[in-house]
Amino acid sequence: MSTTIQPERVLKELAELWVTLGKESDPSHSSGVLRACAMTLITLVEESEDPSDVWSTMAALMPEHPSRAIVIRFKQSAARELSSRVFSQCWMPFGHRRQICCEQIEISASDASLPELAPVVLPLAVADLPVVLWCRSARLFRLPEFPQLAKIANKLLLDSSAFADPAGILARIQSGQKVVSDLAWTRLTRVRELISQIFESRSYLSRVPEVALVKLTFGGVIPPVSAFYLAAWILDCLEAAGAHPYLEWERAAGVPAGRISRLELAGESDSGLHVTLTISGDPARQMAELQIDSLVTNTVFPTDNDYALLREELSIPGRDAVYERTLARAARLAGQGK
Amino acid sequence: MALENPFQDPLRFERRIPECAVAIFGANGDLTKRKLLPALYRLAYERRLSPGFAVVGISRTPMSDDQFRANMRESVAKFLEDSPFDEDVWNTFAQGLYYMAGDIGDAQAFTNLAEHLKKIEECRHTAGNVLFYLSTQPSQYAAAAKGIGAAGMATGNGWRRIVIEKPFGHDLESARELSEKLHEVFRESDIYRIDHYLGKETVQNILAFRFGNGIFEPLWNRRYVNSVQITAAESIGVEGRGGYYQEAGALRDMIQNHLLQIMATIAMEPSATFQPDAVRDERAKLLRTIRVMKPDEVLANSVAGQYGPARIGGADVVGFRQEKGVDPNSQTDTYAAATFFVDNWRWAGVPFFIRSGKRLPKRVTEIAIQFNAAPHAVFGDNGDEDTPNLLILRIQPEEGISLRFLSKRPGAGMKLRPVSMDFNYGSSFGERSPTAYETLLLDAMIGDATLYTRQDMVEASWGAVEPILNVWHNQKFDFPNYEAGTWGPKASDEMLARHGHEWRTP
Repeated sequence: MSTTIQPERVLKELAELWVTLGKESDPSHSSGVLRACAMTLITLVEESEDPSDVWSTMAALMPEHPSRAIVIRFKQSAARELSSRVFSQCWMPFGHRRQICCEQIEISASDASLPELAPVVLPLAVADLPVVLWCRSARLFRLPEFPQLAKIANKLLLDSSAFADPAGILARIQSGQKVVSDLAWTRLTRVRELISQIFESRSYLSRVPEVALVKLTFGGVIPPVSAFYLAAWILDCLEAAGAHPYLEWERAAGVPAGRISRLELAGESDSGLHVTLTISGDPARQMAELQIDSLVTNTVFPTDNDYALLREELSIPGRDAVYERTLARAARLAGQGK
Repeated sequence: MALENPFQDPLRFERRIPECAVAIFGANGDLTKRKLLPALYRLAYERRLSPGFAVVGISRTPMSDDQFRANMRESVAKFLEDSPFDEDVWNTFAQGLYYMAGDIGDAQAFTNLAEHLKKIEECRHTAGNVLFYLSTQPSQYAAAAKGIGAAGMATGNGWRRIVIEKPFGHDLESARELSEKLHEVFRESDIYRIDHYLGKETVQNILAFRFGNGIFEPLWNRRYVNSVQITAAESIGVEGRGGYYQEAGALRDMIQNHLLQIMATIAMEPSATFQPDAVRDERAKLLRTIRVMKPDEVLANSVAGQYGPARIGGADVVGFRQEKGVDPNSQTDTYAAATFFVDNWRWAGVPFFIRSGKRLPKRVTEIAIQFNAAPHAVFGDNGDEDTPNLLILRIQPEEGISLRFLSKRPGAGMKLRPVSMDFNYGSSFGERSPTAYETLLLDAMIGDATLYTRQDMVEASWGAVEPILNVWHNQKFDFPNYEAGTWGPKASDEMLARHGHEWRTP
């Protein structure tokens, strides 16, 4: 196993790759290949993960978020190991004669090499374009050398639902200086959107101050990170509209840990606004039954996979004020339960 | 009470429709089945509709709510574009579908509809907001509006808006007459004149392209732009609509509305804001600056054509005059081309060539902006150097933008060749583009009229087109003058040649 990577060499290999792609393109047409790049997307994965899963997510993202994709596969090892390979992903839009290609670099590294990675990855980032770091492993995020690597990114993506301690991870995200996107928050967009839609109605909006109770039902022993996020967001919104609700947690039997199964907004009296949102199904097909007073509607949520979540997050290049405000309150709520 | 919805997250949430009901007149017609209901269902699928959203279909055919739901289910499943049909979504959506038999000529039908809408307001919590959609013959627009007004439905607890489809009159006078009738019941701000071309993603993208980027606008004037070509070609004929088409023709059916709106979008000045009226003011201003042709200028600057029979791909294709319901001596234009000039500082002297026709070689709509050639041929005679830069905005079928420029051929010597830099809307953003009707219905329910045509725009575009129609009306054309499957009459090529140009082959 190699122990060094020379960035110049990797860049040279990339340049050669483009020459090869140009030669391989249909010689009868002068259209050639088109290089597309909007960012550098660095993904950290454990070596035990199937790399084809990550690359298939990258492949799905490329047409929408063309990027130089760098996947770093980590091996738990005390020995220093670093090696790389470059390749490309091309696709031919329907009805077109020209291929669109994106560059892909795979780096294999060991834990012991983590401190050396930043100087290797930095020159590989495409100039003048944002660098996004997606950390798919909770273990890697906790490594003491991780912040050094994270420094090169403009934005950090992680999934806090992979962490066992909601209060700990929320506090850590909040204390960092980096622009962070949490996929546990992204998963809530559909639910939040549905709740927001209720209050597009002036009559329901005018009844928001009646809400005295927010009740969240979840699977597992303690509320998951997503439940803290949802509770924090709802409390913030209700308070902004003049309500002063009480938050109640409820454990649901038979619901897998980490899932939110029900949300209830209720007034103090029976005549007050009453909203319940019941979520069922699995991540492949989630259904939501929304009841507002006596009106019941059913909604199907789109599939929540890595591709869909990243697609949403990569569309937001800068800070997300709603998320940051919610994160602060979610961290406080989770901290109170400790 | 908060005035704004505190739950909104504009960075992540799509625009949502407030609670409302849509009343569709002509609910048993083709437009409802093929476009409107599939678009509304798709908005439901995308979770854009409010929980109590309702549709009331109105037409003469007696039918129960359940029969209407069953018919619409069949149509939606059949005509949905690039989208799956989900039974669960449909079931929830269908709960809000209602039907009522009634004739636009019968006052009682409107009284019944008013009662129906009141019940729906109570049980579906639609807050009295109603969008009336006239998917009927244009001749019924005035009667429908009058009926709505007489039954007291033009005002209510919430907003009331009306959507009408083109044609908005058949000339300037009838357009004004229609407008006056509508204004007796609705305010201009509540009248939504639909032009589905403006709802297309790429037409909207023209605004993003022009006003969201700093590099193009400095070039967007007579100093750098040599000419503009707008082509809207259809490969099909009149497809059983011979009777209607015979009264309309290509100039009325396409150029007066869609293509002049596109031209206005291409040539308008930047608006100060993206507020609906600010954008529409600029569009209207541009339409008013189109030079009106004098009668003696019309034949040199416009061409009428009509397709004749041909054999295409081994099959015989009939000429327009042989189509069902068409007069065998018809003088209707199935092809129209015109050269327009815009009398303002930005565009003075730049010709805008516009053409539209049926039975052309392929279905394509695109705008080609040709820039001036480099002022001096630095690289000598190499064959391609005088190829002008072209910016092509493709509206359909492949929505996208291409820029053609010159590049050095690899190898020894300085030989140049044109290359194209492409942006493909569908493949670049991966996701499905909403159909024009999804966009326009959503906008009407939200109250965003940016992509709708205003009366002053309708009148301005009739003002540009009517002089051509008047001259054509007194002409006896030697039709047919182009074979089906070709790019139109020879006279059209000659019209461009007189200006030193030639039509591009899209």
